Amino acid sequence: MASKHVIATRHTKSIKNRFASRFLRSLLRMKRSDRFGGSRSNEGVRKRSTHRIKMAAYASMARAVGPSRTWSRALLFKLRNRARIQGVLRKRCLVSKKNKKKRVVRNKVIISREPSRTDTLRKLVPGGDSMDICCLLEETAHYIKCLATQVKVMQSIADQSLL
Amino acid sequence: MDPPLINETSFSAANPSSYTLTEIWPFPPPPPSSTRLGLRMDNLADPDGSLEESTLTDQSSGNGTRIRKTRDFSSEKDDSSKMVSTTTSANDLNDSNGKRRKISGSRSENNDSRAETEASSAANNKTAEQSSKPSEPPKQDYIHVRARRGQATDSHSLAERARREKISERMNILQDLVPGCNKVIGKALVLDEIINYIQSLQCQVEFLSMKLEAVNSRMNTSPTTEYLHPKDLGAQPFVATGTISGPQPTREYVQGSQSEWLHMQVGGSFERATPSKKKSPEVTSASGLQGKPFTERGAFKSATQKSCSGSGSAELICKGRSNNPIRVQSKRNGGIEIMAVAERVGRVEIGK
Repeated sequence: MASKHVIATRHTKSIKNRFASRFLRSLLRMKRSDRFGGSRSNEGVRKRSTHRIKMAAYASMARAVGPSRTWSRALLFKLRNRARIQGVLRKRCLVSKKNKKKRVVRNKVIISREPSRTDTLRKLVPGGDSMDICCLLEETAHYIKCLATQVKVMQSIADQSLL
Repeated sequence: MDPPLINETSFSAANPSSYTLTEIWPFPPPPPSSTRLGLRMDNLADPDGSLEESTLTDQSSGNGTRIRKTRDFSSEKDDSSKMVSTTTSANDLNDSNGKRRKISGSRSENNDSRAETEASSAANNKTAEQSSKPSEPPKQDYIHVRARRGQATDSHSLAERARREKISERMNILQDLVPGCNKVIGKALVLDEIINYIQSLQCQVEFLSMKLEAVNSRMNTSPTTEYLHPKDLGAQPFVATGTISGPQPTREYVQGSQSEWLHMQVGGSFERATPSKKKSPEVTSASGLQGKPFTERGAFKSATQKSCSGSGSAELICKGRSNNPIRVQSKRNGGIEIMAVAERVGRVEIGK
């Protein structure tokens, strides 16, 4: 592990560097578009831009990892199809107002059990719904590593810019 | 009931063909009228035990009567089942395979007589096949997990054991990753720790993005602290200062940072930080004292290549216009540095 880190310091293509460059670039892009949009200090706008920054961080992490991992693939897929999925959901919501009673009845049929720890983990790790337990644990390990890296990089960026 | 059983075992061990016939016997409804078989059933089913001493000569003599045979049928169920189980046990005594014996033994302990007969007969068939195929291929060839002493050698249990080992290995990896997880004992608690850790990391990401958003918005409002994207203020302020500073006809204005990469370097850049600090006063003085944009040629070129080479060249973290001096590298977070490396992309000539 230690030797790996030493290599990573010299290696420009390490995940940390890739993530940092991507994230900063997306931040820049975001800022530029913000500037042209004008400065608004609304609460909702702030929340939305926070969300955007968060999604940009996740997306750049997933891009930096590449499609070799299941979780990054799932994340990228989700990000790519986010608009479509949300549109579908919205449409479904509009449609389902009529059918709400039926759906309630249908939901009662499903036996709901206490969500186990594995299920919680599946929800946390992107793309974990369709994995068996072995894969899930492996992906979790990698995801934790990447998430820790992401947090570290973001922390240092925030510190730098607050100076 | 013991004596006839013993008789039967001895008999079947002695005569293998006959026990196969008896094994077939319960399934087809009426047996073909072979007197020998009927007699055998008679012998076994006789509650009095008058014909206990059934020998080969007795079987072959063939004195069966119809009435007795029908009476046999009424009491056939339990007796025949017992008989078959005994035959299986007898066969297993001959058989060398221990596992088969165990299975059939456990099955013969069942209470249900019907199921027992079927199962035991099936086991009997298998044992017959085994005896016909003397060299049965060992099952653990294609699974690389070896069973230790006292562990089951079934293929299913082998696979299950392999899976469990895999899972525990992964759990160990995760335990190493998650801080404070080494002391926790128990899979469930470890999973809890992992879940908590992931959640905390995600919360941190959320919080940091909030922080970054605040920084961004603050930068938007106050242009002097704006150094993440000097490109924005690159165009206008420079021109403005250039025009304000007055007529200086032939001068090349090099924009400090037309585009800017921010790139990470981990550790050991303290030596490289010094030349940039040396360089920074010049730049600040040049721009600050005169109030004019500075000229500088090709100083920034090397900065971008340095990231690949890693050799120490001057790294300039450039603010486009520097009221406060150049904001550079601080070593924190274990040597992670984010450096804004200015890349000179284009030069702007402002002439008359």
